Amino acid sequence: MTSEPRAFLTQDTGAATIAAALVGRVGGRWRLIGSLAVPAGADPTALAALLVERVSAVDPVLAAALGLDRTPVEELPRVEVASHPPRRLAVVAGSERALVPLVAAASRSGWRTSSASAETADPLEMSTLLLDPGVNGILAGAGDPPAADERRALGELGALVAAAAHRRPEVPIVLAGGMAGQLHAFGDVADRPARLLIGSAARLGRDGAGLRELLTDAALPPDDARRALGAAAVALAEVLDRRIDVVEIGFDGGTRAGAWPGAWSEAAAMDLAIVPSAGLAPADPDDQVVDRVATWSTSTTDRHRLRDRMRELRIAPWADATGEGVALRLAAARAALSCLARWTPEWADRPAADLVVATGGTWAVASGPSVALALVDVLRRAGAAQFALDHGRLLAPLGSIPDAGERRAILADLADDLLAPLGTVVTPGGLRHGRSVGALQLHGASGRREHELRPGGLELVELPPGATAVAEFRFHDTVRLGGRGRHFTIDVTGGLGGLVVDLRDVPLRLPERADLRGELLEAWQSAVRTGRDA
Amino acid sequence: MTGAASDVRLVPARPLVIAPVDVIFRLAPGDRPLVAASESVVVGAPIAERLRDPGLEEIHVPTALEPQPGGRWSGPADGRDGLESGELVFSWRGRWRVAGGALSDPLETPFAGIVRGVRPGTSITIRAAGRGLRGIVALGGPTRGRLQGSPDSELRAGGLDVNSAGAILVVGSRVDAETLTRARAMGVRGVVVTGLSSKERRDYLASEARQRSALHRLPPFAVLVLDGAVRRPVAGAVLALLGALSGHEVAIVTDPPMLVFDIPSLTVPTPPADLVRVRGGALAGREGRFVEAIGARRFPGGAHLEACLVRFPDGTTAAVPLGDLERFV
Repeated sequence: MTSEPRAFLTQDTGAATIAAALVGRVGGRWRLIGSLAVPAGADPTALAALLVERVSAVDPVLAAALGLDRTPVEELPRVEVASHPPRRLAVVAGSERALVPLVAAASRSGWRTSSASAETADPLEMSTLLLDPGVNGILAGAGDPPAADERRALGELGALVAAAAHRRPEVPIVLAGGMAGQLHAFGDVADRPARLLIGSAARLGRDGAGLRELLTDAALPPDDARRALGAAAVALAEVLDRRIDVVEIGFDGGTRAGAWPGAWSEAAAMDLAIVPSAGLAPADPDDQVVDRVATWSTSTTDRHRLRDRMRELRIAPWADATGEGVALRLAAARAALSCLARWTPEWADRPAADLVVATGGTWAVASGPSVALALVDVLRRAGAAQFALDHGRLLAPLGSIPDAGERRAILADLADDLLAPLGTVVTPGGLRHGRSVGALQLHGASGRREHELRPGGLELVELPPGATAVAEFRFHDTVRLGGRGRHFTIDVTGGLGGLVVDLRDVPLRLPERADLRGELLEAWQSAVRTGRDA
Repeated sequence: MTGAASDVRLVPARPLVIAPVDVIFRLAPGDRPLVAASESVVVGAPIAERLRDPGLEEIHVPTALEPQPGGRWSGPADGRDGLESGELVFSWRGRWRVAGGALSDPLETPFAGIVRGVRPGTSITIRAAGRGLRGIVALGGPTRGRLQGSPDSELRAGGLDVNSAGAILVVGSRVDAETLTRARAMGVRGVVVTGLSSKERRDYLASEARQRSALHRLPPFAVLVLDGAVRRPVAGAVLALLGALSGHEVAIVTDPPMLVFDIPSLTVPTPPADLVRVRGGALAGREGRFVEAIGARRFPGGAHLEACLVRFPDGTTAAVPLGDLERFV
């Protein structure tokens, strides 16, 4: 945006949802005027027109001040992003051991993966995999230097991949680690339509960031909505001066963006994981998917029926979103979050974020407190964090603003509007079982309140959005809450779910029996919906 | 009513008929394409030979032949290389790995068209002459037959007779695996159904896998699922189209899952612009007229969803979440 408009539209086009928001200049700063989300397949022009029409009907004076009465909707400036369907990467290696970190790197870099190693697949199977028309990229990797168990297979593997590359010139190829030594087998690649990239060896954790960034670049265009969430998380961390975790669950994948503000001479930084298998509705709900969803289901549906419902969710993600449909979506969202956690294991060892922001079309049908509970059910770690919801789906469009300064300035104006506060969740770890583990004293504007803390459940304390308080925890035994100790004082802020003291196990332990598990999950979910302790 | 709120374009649109139709036939290494790009193919023309049990042989190929990955190789007549012919896969230490096999099945195109691309070991793409009705999934292989049947009735295994041999049956809202298996055994070429549950799908695929493992060639058969996994009536617009196609030769293809028909004279009735179909929820299957968007409403389960008012043929109106609706364009 180079001119000085009074209003602009943002649009986040996902595989299942189109979300539009109207942002206007009010009182010298940008404010969120309104937002709407409808199922994908609707006409975005009609969506924008309806949004502007509603604003004009509710507040004609404001609409006139923003120039909406004289600017056709089509001429309003727009900041648009779209999430692109994940593509498939064939991952091959000399040994099963070498394959594991390669698949882990690709699975969290925006790719769906199919994999094979020379140890378990013969050359014909591997060629069939690489030549499959559904494969959009090839990653061949080895350790650096290659380990003894893979060294012997690398020559033949290099020849096989080079032959596939020759036959499929439109497919990008990544040679990682010691596999780069086989580059000679590919001949002259200067005229190849798709790139042949050399990457570092796949490693778990921060050491593997180089290859993951390379794979993300090859997987998704720069203006992809999920990639934009990374930039938005950094800008938000800088603006709020806090550690931020953005967690997105969408139809076709999930995203986790962790960002932290700069300190001393270090600049703000972030880590981005885009996990296609963490989508709400996997394309093929196999047994693993059904098991994951069943684990979090509050009803004891048989497996075939659950699979049918997951298929229907894939075909029409917005249909049947009332009644039991809400519970199904929340179970599927938790299953997706567990996939996200599986592919980002090092997140668990990091300091807890100060603010966790939920975003994505999945949360559109759930109440705010239910969203926070879903996140703390699955992405569990001891600590205290605020939770917020990107209810207007603004983060990705704003993250796509190319100029970092402009992005920060707009986010600074809009932070309060775009983040719907869900509340603060305090999760002490290492609690002992018993009748009481301690007490909470909440010092707020309305005086002092005291609550006994009983392990195994949720202690819900009313604290409305905008309210702040000081929570003083006194435990009978030493617990983990950031550090280890018995006495903690934490500044907390309110939200739609108030203050939640989560006294359940970290990680969460659920009963094996489906009916007991369903009852327990329903009790917790019902508690946050109604505001009563569970 | 004027303005954006009356705009039916807020309802997700689904194309009723798709044209042009590019169909992909998958190949594996060793399969032999019989067509080349830009060639015209007629109905039933063999386009490839698919190997039943491919294997990889190491063979010395003289460099004078300028071998390339994906190229064809023919061995000496005495068969001393173990293979008569095959596909060059890759070269390693001076010898080529060649994919080949003794037994193959012909792959025939079930529609006429023009070959858009041939990629040995990967796929053949053909642009079909005609148009297509898109489904959710198609199980089986490409097939062709005369469309017959009644979408408003449910087909049971006992209801099949030999008159259906060679036909593609439209069977309504749901079908079970036993009926599908028996239909295939009786020479039916395909089935078009609105919904196929996961259990029936699994049972049918298991039956098909058992058949495939036998040495004799399976007759072409496919199941085209139009809507999803649960019982749901056929949409009015689709019903009208299937009615118009009844008695004509049509094809089912799997990639994309589609019913392909080549009847240039067929005029596909355009559904009214404001006609919407309820896809999910308590009113699933009903069709009505979009009246207006009415904003977010609270629905059972506590969900606040954008909704619109729909007027049904019996004169009643109901607030329906936008996500439960679809319209055909």
